[in-house]
Amino acid sequence: MHASGLTLTLAGRAIPLGPRAAGAAVVREVRSMPFGLRLWIGGLLAVLAVAAVAALVALPPGWKVFGTSPSFEWGLMIVGYVFFAIMTSGLCLASSLGTVFGIERFRPFEKRHAILAVLSLTTAFLIIALDLHYPVRMVFGAMLVPSPSSPMWWMGVFYGAYLVVLLVEVWSMFTDHPRIHQWACTIAACLAILAPATLGAVFGVLAAKPFWFGIFTPIMMVASAFLAGTALLGIVFYAVHRLRLADHARSASIALPAVRLLLAVGLVIVGALVIRQVVAGLTGTVPGHREATIALVTGPIAAEFWGLRVIAGIVAPALLLLMPMTRNPAGTLAASILALVGVFTDRYTFVTAGQIAPTTTHAGTVSYPYASYAPTLVEVSIFVGALAFLALAYTLAERYLDMGETDVHVGINWPWMRRHDAGQDQEGQDHEAAGDDDVGEDHDGPADLPAPDTSRAPGGPAVPVEVAAIAAGAGS
Amino acid sequence: MSEPRIGGGPMAPADPAPVVPVDPVEAPAPVEAPDPVGLVPLDELAPAIAAVSTSRRAFLGFGLAVAGGMVGAGVLARFFPVFADELDPASPIVKAYDPGTRQWTFIVDTASCIGCGLCVVACKEENHVTDKPGYTRTWVERRTVTTDGTLYVDSPDGGIDGFPSHSTAPGAAGKAVRASHFQPRLCMQCATSPCTTVCPVGATYTAEDGVILVDARRCIGCGYCIVACPYGARYLAPAGEHGGGITPGIADKCNWCYHRINQGQLPACVEICPVGSRKFGDAADETSEIVRVLRERNPQMLYPEYGTRPRVLYLGPSVEEA
Repeated sequence: MHASGLTLTLAGRAIPLGPRAAGAAVVREVRSMPFGLRLWIGGLLAVLAVAAVAALVALPPGWKVFGTSPSFEWGLMIVGYVFFAIMTSGLCLASSLGTVFGIERFRPFEKRHAILAVLSLTTAFLIIALDLHYPVRMVFGAMLVPSPSSPMWWMGVFYGAYLVVLLVEVWSMFTDHPRIHQWACTIAACLAILAPATLGAVFGVLAAKPFWFGIFTPIMMVASAFLAGTALLGIVFYAVHRLRLADHARSASIALPAVRLLLAVGLVIVGALVIRQVVAGLTGTVPGHREATIALVTGPIAAEFWGLRVIAGIVAPALLLLMPMTRNPAGTLAASILALVGVFTDRYTFVTAGQIAPTTTHAGTVSYPYASYAPTLVEVSIFVGALAFLALAYTLAERYLDMGETDVHVGINWPWMRRHDAGQDQEGQDHEAAGDDDVGEDHDGPADLPAPDTSRAPGGPAVPVEVAAIAAGAGS
Repeated sequence: MSEPRIGGGPMAPADPAPVVPVDPVEAPAPVEAPDPVGLVPLDELAPAIAAVSTSRRAFLGFGLAVAGGMVGAGVLARFFPVFADELDPASPIVKAYDPGTRQWTFIVDTASCIGCGLCVVACKEENHVTDKPGYTRTWVERRTVTTDGTLYVDSPDGGIDGFPSHSTAPGAAGKAVRASHFQPRLCMQCATSPCTTVCPVGATYTAEDGVILVDARRCIGCGYCIVACPYGARYLAPAGEHGGGITPGIADKCNWCYHRINQGQLPACVEICPVGSRKFGDAADETSEIVRVLRERNPQMLYPEYGTRPRVLYLGPSVEEA
């Protein structure tokens, strides 16, 4: 037996598990971090500490720590769940263009999207677990007593399967199982439509809530998902480009222009759906539909709707993407952040507008003209903590996993993919990058560089993850 | 070193775990350029195939074990109702009570309701409903139409203390009243109920006699049934002083005092109503008064446009003609 005791081999690093050795290793690791990274992680940990307190307060069932009431039962927690859940699907939708449909310029999304998708879905599940009063029952209840009449049950089925598929996707990617990876990506792309559409159906089947009711809710949910996922990729790839992380040259030359294109598509679709939503709502004849829409456009949530959702969330990013002077990585970052804020506001106003103009008395409470809901500090802390969780987990993944995209291979050439994809995608992408029209528009990025293979993170050697080996020091 | 494996079965052949971390030098080389058509010599691919198929077998085996466990647990749950216990509202059914023979029906006569609020008091007492404002299984609302044709609805504290002489709805003060009536409300026990349809875990369900119950052991507190109910009859029970049967954080609503009606008693609100505006009975019993009222006075459904087919029916001034 060595004194070192247990070690865990992760991503090619031996991580000591003994308390003293682990403590020393953490200190050594923190010392090796640049100051900015230490500050960033420290800040995120502080936010998470606050959120942890809030989560503890939210745990006991029935405590009224949320701002919800019988007439306004779904609040910020549901908004947060929907936001992170659809973001997961958006990431898969964006990346499927490369992984499933074999379009070269969308290939750089693979590793980062998969990690982000897993983390985003985990975040969504964490939020909903804190919102539910009895989350453990949900898992067992949904499995033991299937309720196929409930859209929420199907949502659980699809998102549960989604998490499994995403985990397989990440595992196969980092352990180099290209065929399994290809299958996982393809199934994930299907679930990326199924899952948010079902989430839309959770709202869309409710005749009691005319603003939510209808076939356009799932459509809107999928479109929002696409926009949210693309916007998150924009933020991440800007950080990769700016901080010179793994594969940063390709990030600037291929990923960011691709994000710009996808964002523009998403904004156009979501913009059209918003126009439909308002027009259909104002001319609607179902009791409560018009009232809810009026609350949205001129009522208590009009400021959020017009200011954050329409102007900041759709018009401003569209202009940023359109104007020549902002067609650069910084402009794409700004457009991505604004679009993401827009999607969040979109989900917030959607959930709010659905309940704000009640068509009935709720448990003896008459809410006229509008039901009131304001998120409490606990809810806000949990939501901000969820954002911090996603950011922290992704930061750690970016630092300790090999995020270079060049070693991801096409496992199976689906019939619609170009043949040279398999095994030689690197050459293909270099060629693509050099001949790409968009490259020249990246004024402040290293866009004109050919995508080199040397763009590794300064910190880490590229070693495939082997999560398998837990070695007990010696002996046995 | 070999420890006994729990539930061996499909997992057992996948045991050689040390094979999983493929040698990074040798194995991935063939994997790197797999020919989709399969023209690479087999012996070149052999190590990769061995590694991949081993891990795949392990993965499939794991999946099969999980799926098998779930199916097995589901079958077991059919025979051994793990959820049923004293909190199950269906369990207080007395031996003599046969829900299959009953068609409970509730009729509210708004013409005679005086808005005294005794029904709300009785319900809270009988069912240990919290005193916190905003949570009640039944309530009375006053629907007032002023001379300018506007409808005002008010229900101070669910009407538990009765009503002041003028509507407390915002904007109604000082306006001359054209018509006004009280409308007692409770769970409609809909025949096609949105709440039971949307419940993701089957915690709320329709008993054979038509009453919709909530299984406190299954409910997860997601609130879906609450946003789905067009009548606002449900709420999540807040924590606080409760008596028997109410679990904080789960969906709660009127169940027509199920513990009373299955022993031949009337719901508490019906029993206490001083003017008889709440009527309750078994529509399957041809001799009952409820059947006579159903035949002679043709009571109406509230909000029929939702297609929920409520089992609570209304006589007297309706919502529209108020």
